[in-house]
Amino acid sequence: MSAAAGGAARCLSLDDWDLRYQQLKAAGLQEPWYGGPLRRHVDDGGDLRLLKLRFDDSPAALRLWNFLLTEEERLHAARAAGKKIVGTMKDLGTVPVLVYSLPNALAFYPDGAWWAPCVMELNEGCLAAAAQHGLDESFCPVRAMFGAFVTGTQFPRPDLLTCSVGATCDDFSAIAQRLEALGFPVLWWEIPARRRPDAGEEAVLLPGGFSAPASQVAAVAAELERIRATLETLSGERLDEARLRAGIQAANKVRRVLARLRELVFRAPDCPLPALELLIAEMLAIHFCSDREEALTVLQKLLAETERRVRTGRAGCQPALQPARVFWVNPVADLAVMNLFEGCGGRLCGTDFMFGHALNEIPEALPPLEALARMALSDPMVGPASERADRVCRDAQSFGAEAVVVSRIPGASHCALEGEAIGAAVRARLDLPVLELEVPPVSDALRPTLRTRLEALVEAVLERRRRKP
Amino acid sequence: MAGRRVLYSSPYVPAEFIAAHGLQPYRVFPARHARAFGSGANEGLCPYAKAFVEEAASDADAAVIFATTCDQMRRASEPAQAPGRPPFVFNVPATWQSATAQATYRAELERLGRFLVRLGGAAPVPGQLAATMLQYDGARASLRAARSDARALEAAEALVALYQGTEPRASASGGAAASGPRLALLGGPLFRDQFSLYDDLEAAGARIVLDATETGERTLPAAFDPAAVRADPLGELARAYFGHIPDVFRRPNDGLYAWLARELAARRVQGVLLLRCVWCDLWHAEAPRLKERLGLPVVELDPSSAVPAAPRTQARVQAMLEIFT
Repeated sequence: MSAAAGGAARCLSLDDWDLRYQQLKAAGLQEPWYGGPLRRHVDDGGDLRLLKLRFDDSPAALRLWNFLLTEEERLHAARAAGKKIVGTMKDLGTVPVLVYSLPNALAFYPDGAWWAPCVMELNEGCLAAAAQHGLDESFCPVRAMFGAFVTGTQFPRPDLLTCSVGATCDDFSAIAQRLEALGFPVLWWEIPARRRPDAGEEAVLLPGGFSAPASQVAAVAAELERIRATLETLSGERLDEARLRAGIQAANKVRRVLARLRELVFRAPDCPLPALELLIAEMLAIHFCSDREEALTVLQKLLAETERRVRTGRAGCQPALQPARVFWVNPVADLAVMNLFEGCGGRLCGTDFMFGHALNEIPEALPPLEALARMALSDPMVGPASERADRVCRDAQSFGAEAVVVSRIPGASHCALEGEAIGAAVRARLDLPVLELEVPPVSDALRPTLRTRLEALVEAVLERRRRKP
Repeated sequence: MAGRRVLYSSPYVPAEFIAAHGLQPYRVFPARHARAFGSGANEGLCPYAKAFVEEAASDADAAVIFATTCDQMRRASEPAQAPGRPPFVFNVPATWQSATAQATYRAELERLGRFLVRLGGAAPVPGQLAATMLQYDGARASLRAARSDARALEAAEALVALYQGTEPRASASGGAAASGPRLALLGGPLFRDQFSLYDDLEAAGARIVLDATETGERTLPAAFDPAAVRADPLGELARAYFGHIPDVFRRPNDGLYAWLARELAARRVQGVLLLRCVWCDLWHAEAPRLKERLGLPVVELDPSSAVPAAPRTQARVQAMLEIFT
């Protein structure tokens, strides 16, 4: 059944959601403790960007948004309950698995503050605070994290900060160094530049299909052992193999749900979930938004809604009837651009939001730290751009994408060359149109340009579709 | 020196290790290039990384080594690939405090050795690496000894000559300025066509008493311990390079500040010119901290866009010198 037959969900504005929320409550909607109308995040939290976004209309999406926007409250509650809070910078999904293996600790992702300027439409003060310390707009918007630490907003001061360095972007490494100099001690750990094994060198196949020398896996495992030992000291709890195995299994549960969700969203004839909600859902895999069990529940609800829509042929709030199927590379600093993309007639058919390694299942049969080391090394950002491009091509082809968007992150050191490498590979191997665009945290001033470029891409796709025999 | 030329830019690549394999180490000090490579405009690309790739590409027979000391150089290794000429990406850990980091650097040296053999080099026979190391160590000692009497340009040219196996370019003028504000140059690398900045500064009345740029004396390895060289040459190479060279990319980079505190005091430096290329996040982010920690006037210059004689550069330098008059 097509969207035309099954109907489509409505894209709701925040005003629409006020009414929708009343209707759902009247119909008996049950919510977790962090539930409530989305409006309160604007009224109480200053999340002004919500006024300009369009949302999926399901209770599952409501729960997703409420979960995302209440992370700070969860962190404060955890602190009050005596839990240890670990800020895991840059690794995007590795150290959190270790942290959540402990009964009395949780991890959060300080880098996530990079969305604060967008969500609060620059009223959060984070970028301004960073700029006052010399971290101006020539740096990636992740400099908002620095401002969040300085201003003490967004999240409580963590009990431990970890940061992966080595094959990471210079912006982040430099900003984290400045943080440490301000009196936020950092446990640095090395993630080497992944390389292809030399001839005759022992090679290891990584989750997701890349390979690396066994020596690099061993080196990363040794680094994770340092972190494991530090976490034991911090928490006063043993972080033994049994706990680590259980932690990996729990993380894999989240990853499996997300994998199923992605498959449905990218492959269904009518897109069952909007791009914006999928982006948020994927982000949960990195650090579970400070509550691993609840993150799983949130994703399961979203998956159930998506499955129901696919089953009944009811599309998500997709404005176009035959949208262009687009693979999206890199997350956008302004969430509104995902709405804009769909408004221009696109739908997501594959993503690489820079943390593919956090979506792959962690091998459960291996010693835990080795398994996590393999996962960490499968990070698309630590290897050659050509390998990331390989994976983009493979996935774009698998999901039937008709075009690729490479979303540049302003100022990010990796964006200077990688977009060109990915674009060249996609054009050469898949013969697909590629669009590279740059999205700042609040893109309103660029909206006409972004719209024009996205519309042109969609038109190019539709034209190619018409010409196909 | 015979053998294929091996190009590199990072001071963490030991020239003597390449030379001991019978190949010709050649540290590239590139000039600025205006041409973009690839099809894109290279927006956001470090101009030094770009210039290095361009210079490397102009020597089609040479092998190229990139180091991972910054993200831009790591990533620039890919467009630098040419058919039949894969570059060697030397993984220099950002961390240094763990046994893993130190072992990684040493293992990378061993891997580099295998790469050099594949290029046509020969693994050093016993004693050969040690002898080469001591030869280079002696040259560096001479360079250090001559530094206090030399003008900054002469010292810089001598360092280039050491790492390119050439004779230093002849200098047009005499010894170092006897008076004038005592300045240090600090920061990333200086482009080859901007070495005139040294003379320009001295002509303006400054005395450059410390060259702590990436192309200057800051990045010289520690002097070797001859006994350690004979006992474990690879270990001594790792100690002198990885264990010693202070740099902004290291995490944490306390070693840079310790080195600066020592050298700035020893040379009685009065002011610092911080040279950082546009898009160099590492030095850019560190600039405010340097200004706060060094307790000296610090003026930033962008060597990638500012021709030494450009009015803006001149004005900034002149303003700094006026502080001391």
